[in-house]
Parts: sequence; C-alpha cells; structure tokens
Amino acid sequence: MSADDVIESYVNDVASQLPRRQRNDVAFELRALLREGLQDRAEAAGRAADATMATEFVNSFGRPDDVAARYRPTLSVIDPADGPRFVRLTWIGLLVIWGAGLLEFVGQPIPTGWDLLTPLSKWWFGTVLPSPWWPGLLVLYYATSAWFRRRGPQVAAWKPSADDQISGGRAGLLLGMAGVVVGCVVLANPTMLLDVFGEGRAAPAAYAALTYDAGFLQRQAPWLFGLVLFNLPLMAIALVMGRSPIGLRRVETVHSLVTCAVMLWVVFDGPVLVTPAGDQLAKSLMLLIVVGVLLYLAVSRYRQVRPAPTRTGGADPGASGHSPSHSPR
Amino acid sequence: MGDTDAFAKLEMELRRGVVVLATLSQLRRPRYGYELRQALAERDVPIEEGTLYPLLRRLESQGLLHSEWQTESGSPRRYYALTADGRRLLKKLTEAWQGMNAAMSRLLKEDG
Repeated sequence: MSADDVIESYVNDVASQLPRRQRNDVAFELRALLREGLQDRAEAAGRAADATMATEFVNSFGRPDDVAARYRPTLSVIDPADGPRFVRLTWIGLLVIWGAGLLEFVGQPIPTGWDLLTPLSKWWFGTVLPSPWWPGLLVLYYATSAWFRRRGPQVAAWKPSADDQISGGRAGLLLGMAGVVVGCVVLANPTMLLDVFGEGRAAPAAYAALTYDAGFLQRQAPWLFGLVLFNLPLMAIALVMGRSPIGLRRVETVHSLVTCAVMLWVVFDGPVLVTPAGDQLAKSLMLLIVVGVLLYLAVSRYRQVRPAPTRTGGADPGASGHSPSHSPR
Repeated sequence: MGDTDAFAKLEMELRRGVVVLATLSQLRRPRYGYELRQALAERDVPIEEGTLYPLLRRLESQGLLHSEWQTESGSPRRYYALTADGRRLLKKLTEAWQGMNAAMSRLLKEDG
C-alpha cells in the first residue's frame, strides 16, 4: 500500500459519512490538503513519504468518524443536561421490569439444580431481552422534549414552585378522590365489573375468578379497604388548604408505608381470591404496587435536598436536624 | 501528572474559545486550508488540521466565509475569505476579545 492509497482510504472514510451534496467537494479538498501536509512532513524528514508515514500523519488528523462529525453541525439526541436523569431512569425502569418479571414465579416452589434453568430462561427471554423497549421509550421522550425546549425556550423556562404545592393542582386532587371512590366500590364488589361491562352475560367462571376468599374478607380486607378509604380525608384536607404542608405529607408517608405492610401481609398470607389464577394475578399486582410505592418513597428520600456545608473535620451545622429541606416532586 | 493533565485540558479549553476568532483574523485575505494553518502556527496559534478544515466549511455554511477553487497554478486549492457578514463578526469578536483580555489582565494583576 502506498502513501497515496492511505490518504485515499482515509478521505473515503471521512467523506462517505457526509451529506451527498458536500461529500465529493470535501473529499477533493481534504485529499489535496492531506497530500500537501504529507509532502511537507516528508521533506522535513528528508525522505519520501511511505505508507507508515502517511498512516501516522492521518492518525494525527483524527479518527475519520470524529473528523466527519466536525464537518456537520453538532447533533445531540439527548441534551447533556438530561443525561444523568436518563441513565438513572433507565436503570430504575429496567430493575422494575426485571423485578416484575420475577413476580410470575412468586408462590411457586423454587426448583433446584438444572430445573432452575427453565424459569430462569423463561425470565431471560420473556422479560430481560425485550426490556430495552424502556430505554428506547426514554430516548424518544427526551429527544422530543429537547426538541420542544429548543423550539420554545420561553415555554420551557424554569419557574419557581413552592415545596407544599400540590402536583396536579386541585383538579388533580378531585380526580384522585373520584378514582379512590370508584376503586373502593369496585374493590368492595369486583364482580360488579362483569355486570357493567359484560351486561350480566359473563361466564360463571369469570364471576368465580373475582370472588374473594372468606379468610381474606375476615382478616385483611377491613384493614386494606380502611387504608384505601383513608386517602379521602387526606386528599380532602389538601383540597381545602390548597397545598400539602409538611405535616400532611408525613402522615401520607406513614399511611403509604402502613398500606404497603398490609399489602405484603395479604400477599404472603392465605388466598385473596378463590381461584388460584385470579389469586396469583391479584397478588402480583399488589406486589407491583408495593415495589412502586417503596421505590418512589426511597427515591424521594434519596433526592431530598437539605442545604448544609459538607463536614470538613469540624462540627456539622446540619447535623442538628433543623435545616429546612426541599423534596423533589 | 494530575496537574499536567488538568493544565493540558484547561489550556485546550482556552484555545478552543479563540479558534474561530483566530481563524477569521487570518482570512481578511484569501487563503487555502493548509496555508491558513501554517499562518496560524507561525503566529503561535497552532490549530489541528482535523479541527481547522471542518471549521472552515462550517463558517462558510453560516455565511461568514466564501470560497472558490483555484486550479490555475499547480494543484487545485480552495481559497477562503471573509464575507461582509464575516468582517462584521470579526470586528465584534475582536472588540469582545479585547474587552475580555483587558478585564482578565486586571484580574490577574490584582491576584498576582
């Protein structure tokens, strides 16, 4: 291979990545410039240019991909500012998806030896391998929001928000309260769904699938329904006040934790529904809710901001626990 | 070692900030890429070819430079020169640079 071949190869690798309308012109110019630069280098070295010298020369110019990228305007699909959040959400989402995939096996006997490979491969091919849909969706979301931000910077400008502001506002709260009421009615009598949507023509098996186990109704149901109903006074207080003060948020957190505990009690105690398939589905959904709520609480706690100087050997003024905090919403 | 790395990175950042101004300043008269690079290097502002040549194209696409091929004498060369917009931008950037330079000189003198 001659020095000229090296330059031709390099120019081709750069130019082939450029838009068609400028490709040939850039290639022509780049080739002339590289030849001239190499000629000068050879003269300085006091010998004729060869392939080794040409390779060294073009390598000092930069990788063809990098050089080609410099000819084009910078394109970032995800804004650098969104990068850390994208990575965090990608991992959280993937862990939730992978965890949810394992829920299918909850309550089943754990196989040993080679038999373990069957559920594992089912989980791997059914859950893990298709899971990149989640980062794909995030890329789409962040690319779209970056595009909108660039198109309308005024709309995307930062606005201050109070710490006790209700996300979704009063309208959101009213919708939430309506949702709790409807949810409670459905939970109290799930077969009502079949009456409403199936107009009473659903198969008896469907009615059986949505029938509560007597033990559940006796032990956990009053607690669970009571806790779900307890959302209503909490929401009503926020609705009247028009904000969600710190005391109310603390009660909500305790309420969420107690609800999670009761749901775990339900999952690991006796059956909820009389049919095994329905029971497993109901328990899987409950576990998913518990994981989601606990994850949300953990992330909120982790991301809480408590302005305080970093300890550098002296006493930590923030350690008294009386500095104001700001919870991310 | 760490200090050397940090210095190299920060110096590169400083240089990166003046690449456009340095390039425009040498294109008051037409030059082709390699000649421009030599001219900058002789004035102690070396810019890598892999950065400079694409930059010329980008500045041209922004309407700050115009270019034409000259093939009469020897190998064909694409000559670049400032457009009217390029001259206006060069003037503004020069004023901004001189202002910053003066301010930085004052700052560095105070701390020295």
